[in-house]
Amino acid sequence: MIAFLRLAVFGFIGLSVLYLLLSIYSRSVRRETLEKTWDAENGPGGDGAARDAYIEAGMRDYEKSLRKKLIWLVYVIPMIVIGVTVYLVNYQ
Amino acid sequence: MSGYVFWGIVLALIVAAVIALRIWLPEGSAGRKRAKWATWAFVALLVGGFLHYTLPQHDIVRVVNTYQERQDLNDWTRIFWSSPDDQSTGLINRDVQFLQTIKANGKPMVYRNEDTSWSWPPYFKFDTANLQAEAEDLKSTAAAPQWVSVTHYGWRIVYFSAFPNAVAIKAVAGPDVTIIPWFNIVFFVVLLILVLLFRRMWLQFRERSIDPVLEDMGEAWDSVDDRADQAADRARGVWGRFTGWLGTWKGKSRR
Repeated sequence: MIAFLRLAVFGFIGLSVLYLLLSIYSRSVRRETLEKTWDAENGPGGDGAARDAYIEAGMRDYEKSLRKKLIWLVYVIPMIVIGVTVYLVNYQ
Repeated sequence: MSGYVFWGIVLALIVAAVIALRIWLPEGSAGRKRAKWATWAFVALLVGGFLHYTLPQHDIVRVVNTYQERQDLNDWTRIFWSSPDDQSTGLINRDVQFLQTIKANGKPMVYRNEDTSWSWPPYFKFDTANLQAEAEDLKSTAAAPQWVSVTHYGWRIVYFSAFPNAVAIKAVAGPDVTIIPWFNIVFFVVLLILVLLFRRMWLQFRERSIDPVLEDMGEAWDSVDDRADQAADRARGVWGRFTGWLGTWKGKSRR
């Protein structure tokens, strides 16, 4: 029981760190893409406020996107892997 | 001594050795270069050894007997045994089940058969008793051999009485069957993907978060430099020198 709790607690902490890092990375990549798209369409310089608005709108879309939700797989996949391992090792 | 203390000491020794080497061998010296190589070789050996110990392997063997024996577990060789349940971490000794086998080349191989339960390594093995029964069922003699594939992790170290832990047992056709290590293939592919992902994440972080800060610092320094140059230009002539000197009191100091 203690071993299980230890696995659960440390697993949760480890996966949460991974989740945080991945969401920061994903957001950063999306922002960079938005910046590059704007710069490619409107050229360098130009309207800074419009550029910011475009990027903020893109980021608001990102917050609702499937890609952001998919990062939850960080928690789901290891649990499935553990479940499958328990089955294959003990009941096969 | 428990496994945690042992590995804690190992880690502390590694960190101490690295710090000592950094102090004794200055940057750019030949010794430093050699030390760098030695360190990387040591890290590769450590990681390789860890993976070799932990990842599953398959042996083609013939089971000749199974037995159960009391094991003393209160010294550092405790790291070669499992912690099947919560009490087992505190026990000085307990019974362990073993499989005695003969390999295709005639050499003996003895496996322990222990639950890993929820502890390390993450095999989540709870079916020790069942595995023992299966092994008992697959026993054979040299005259009429029944070859089996034993999935296991760990090392047989005769001197320390360390045994690999059998995880699964399966009858196979003969001693020469090829077993494709699917799990290890998938594991290393996933590991490679994760390493590349972390590298990519770090590069992204550096590009977006560290480099801009460094650039800002560089620009700030350049502007300080520029102001100093302008001040020097204005300092031509007595009046110019005076206004230049006054200018240095304005805004940031030119250092």
